[in-house]
Amino acid sequence: MEHETSSLAMRSRVESVAMRDRGSWTHSLRRGEFVLALAAIVAVWQMVSVSVNNKTLVPPPLLVLDAWIGLWAAELPGDILASLVHLGVGYGLGIAAGLALALLAARFLLFEAIIDPMVEILRPISAIAWIPIAILMFGIGRGVPIFLIFYAAIFPVFINTLAGIKQVDPHLLQAAQMLGASRRMIVTHVVMPAALPLILAGARLSLGVAWMAMVAGELTGADSGLGWRIFWYQEFFAMDKVMAVILTIGILGYILDTLLRWLQARITRWSQDGSEAGR
Amino acid sequence: MTDAQRRWLPLPFFATVLVLWEFAVRQSGQLALYPYPSGVLRAAIRTIGDGSLLAATSGSLYRVLLGFSIAGLLGIPLGVLMGSLQPVNRAMSPIIDSLRSIAPIAWIPMALLWLGIRGNAALFIVTYAAFFPFVVNTIQAVRLVDRNLVNAARALGASRALIARTVILPGSLPVILTGARISLAFAWGAIIAAELAMGIKVSAGGSGAVGLGQLMVSTLYIRRDVNALVLYMIVVGIISFMIDLLMRRLQRNLTPWR
Repeated sequence: MEHETSSLAMRSRVESVAMRDRGSWTHSLRRGEFVLALAAIVAVWQMVSVSVNNKTLVPPPLLVLDAWIGLWAAELPGDILASLVHLGVGYGLGIAAGLALALLAARFLLFEAIIDPMVEILRPISAIAWIPIAILMFGIGRGVPIFLIFYAAIFPVFINTLAGIKQVDPHLLQAAQMLGASRRMIVTHVVMPAALPLILAGARLSLGVAWMAMVAGELTGADSGLGWRIFWYQEFFAMDKVMAVILTIGILGYILDTLLRWLQARITRWSQDGSEAGR
Repeated sequence: MTDAQRRWLPLPFFATVLVLWEFAVRQSGQLALYPYPSGVLRAAIRTIGDGSLLAATSGSLYRVLLGFSIAGLLGIPLGVLMGSLQPVNRAMSPIIDSLRSIAPIAWIPMALLWLGIRGNAALFIVTYAAFFPFVVNTIQAVRLVDRNLVNAARALGASRALIARTVILPGSLPVILTGARISLAFAWGAIIAAELAMGIKVSAGGSGAVGLGQLMVSTLYIRRDVNALVLYMIVVGIISFMIDLLMRRLQRNLTPWR
């Protein structure tokens, strides 16, 4: 038994070494497989659109690509900018509010006793359920998506920050205290760095839900942005443009998530926790 | 502060907030403009009494469960394939990742075109939303299965099918169930979004299938009843809460060894 497990462990070590050696060309292989799969999907799409033979119902890939390139010279940059403004304002406010509330909750027990059940009550009510009320409160315009993004972004950051602060090793706090660090210094130099990996993981979760809230808010209650533009084109039955905007939403969402993942890996390079939470 | 104090402290706080809220709205004299607690309660009694709340909620829930089941039937096999075969994973994962980044309700115009307004468009959105958590978690689940157990079973002469049924399935079930829980939560969020967007953007004169989202839209634009809107919001929240609770309990009961 002993022998068997050790030989298994050895074999797995050997395997991992072999994997690492292959690493240089697995990368190009991976890219090749992806291109193949992408080609397959485009081919199926093309086949479906040929067999349906209706440019409105299933716009062929080349038509969508053409529309997409055309849109870059027309409305698309403005729409992306409008969406990013919604996201920037709402997400920024949401992250700031989530952080501030979590810090207050960590500092004052009374505050935590009140805010914690409030969060538990509000959290199941998704941002989307607020859409009608948001339309009533702000009218059709920038207010609706910004509010929805703000609301969606608060919870993951709040919960993760509070959890992150609570799991800080008390020995570290005591050591800092004993060495004469001020309260402020302890917060900035001990608590925040220790909680950072979880906070960043929360920020990434927030971005995901904020992105969905943005699209939903713009679709239903805005007069600008990518989500709004989808229905704008639909009114003209310009389905190639609708598809182009949908794909843009996907690509942008992917880029934003990759950006945050990269940031997370960079800032908390020292932390096992941070790199794990990133997956 | 003791634990008991902590638990009971919020109650008087929330009670005070509710009373003050009611008082403030009554004082302002704008009862039609702002929601207030007793009005929400009255709306609850009325909509439960005439059955409209129950009908809309069950309509939405029915589509959520249907979409959730379809997503599971498609997503779990794909996840198993991607988790166990490296080439499939490498080829598919960028595609899954980029499709996943598209907010489900962005597909509404296409879904309306392909499937029509009679509930099927919303069903497509729900299925789309629920599909990805299934795939991602199943991949993870299959990867987490202990290789040694698989090797042991193989050494003892078990066939591939037997290994899949008796080793891989129980080993991956906990994480797959986590995926199912997330999927169902996503599906519930997506149905409300889809119904709201369809209700707001497609003025089909109420010919569409009726769900909670459409009920919200007609309450917003036709009846202008803020109290009912708040009530529907609370219902959405309660159902999300129940979904989470039920799925967690199911997870505990199905995988007691975890």
